[in-house]
Amino acid sequence: MDQSPETFRDLVECHQARVFSIAFRILGESGAAEEVAQDVFLELHRALPRLESEEHVTAWLRRVACHRATDALRRRAARGDAAAEEYQDGMALRPVVREFIPVMNRVEQLLLTLPPAQRTVMLLRYQEDLEPEDIALELKMPLATVRSYLQRGVKMLRAKAERTLKEYSRG
Amino acid sequence: MVEPMDEFEKELREQLLARSAPEGFADRVMAQMPERRPSRGWWMGFGLPMWRWAVAVLLVAGMVLGGLERDRQQRMAGERAKQQVLLALRITGSTLREVDSKVNAGGEQQMLSQKGAGRAILEKGEQE
Repeated sequence: MDQSPETFRDLVECHQARVFSIAFRILGESGAAEEVAQDVFLELHRALPRLESEEHVTAWLRRVACHRATDALRRRAARGDAAAEEYQDGMALRPVVREFIPVMNRVEQLLLTLPPAQRTVMLLRYQEDLEPEDIALELKMPLATVRSYLQRGVKMLRAKAERTLKEYSRG
Repeated sequence: MVEPMDEFEKELREQLLARSAPEGFADRVMAQMPERRPSRGWWMGFGLPMWRWAVAVLLVAGMVLGGLERDRQQRMAGERAKQQVLLALRITGSTLREVDSKVNAGGEQQMLSQKGAGRAILEKGEQE
């Protein structure tokens, strides 16, 4: 595809919401998500000559955004950042995550409590509206694993959502 | 087989619609793009403007011509030295020939006088 600034700007404007949302919902933090999203688009610019169509670009962006956001999460975990370990904490939200609450909706907050791989699968299913088979292809993951992540993810989120609702009505 | 979404899943989907990127995101991405340079001629191939290429070409040409001139002068000096050596050899050769002929001429005369003296002694002995 064409690498001209005009074409590239159109691509950025067309896909920025998708890429930023993936990064934001995997990382749970706006600043880091923007950094990852910018890197993804700069990488896209270098990759454009190899990409043949809009569909190819969309799939490429989706896949690379997931991978780069997960990499950033791993780096953060390696630095000992508490937010990266949030998913292990189950229902209780740690102070770091509470900082995100003003800019995240309820489902986004609950999503952050899932393990990163499961979070990514849930995002591709419910944000990107991909079928499990496509998710398995995009993430190079066995279909059975994708299905299992989805089933367990929905179940966990449902349980957490119900508990949150009860706590909210009690409080 | 794709299972139909229940109410909770539909809510998940609604809540997880893509959110807008921060204000000015595209501008910030574009600002990080590598700058596009104006189209470059073949002479800009190694990142040098035309005048630098001209200076480089002149310097190389000067070095080559200087080298050729020095080579020519060395060859001429060599030729002169060769001629001088040949001349010296010729002079030496003619001098040697001259000396040789003089030496040969002197030797014959001496032999004749030695022969004459010998004959005189013999004749004197016979008479006695």
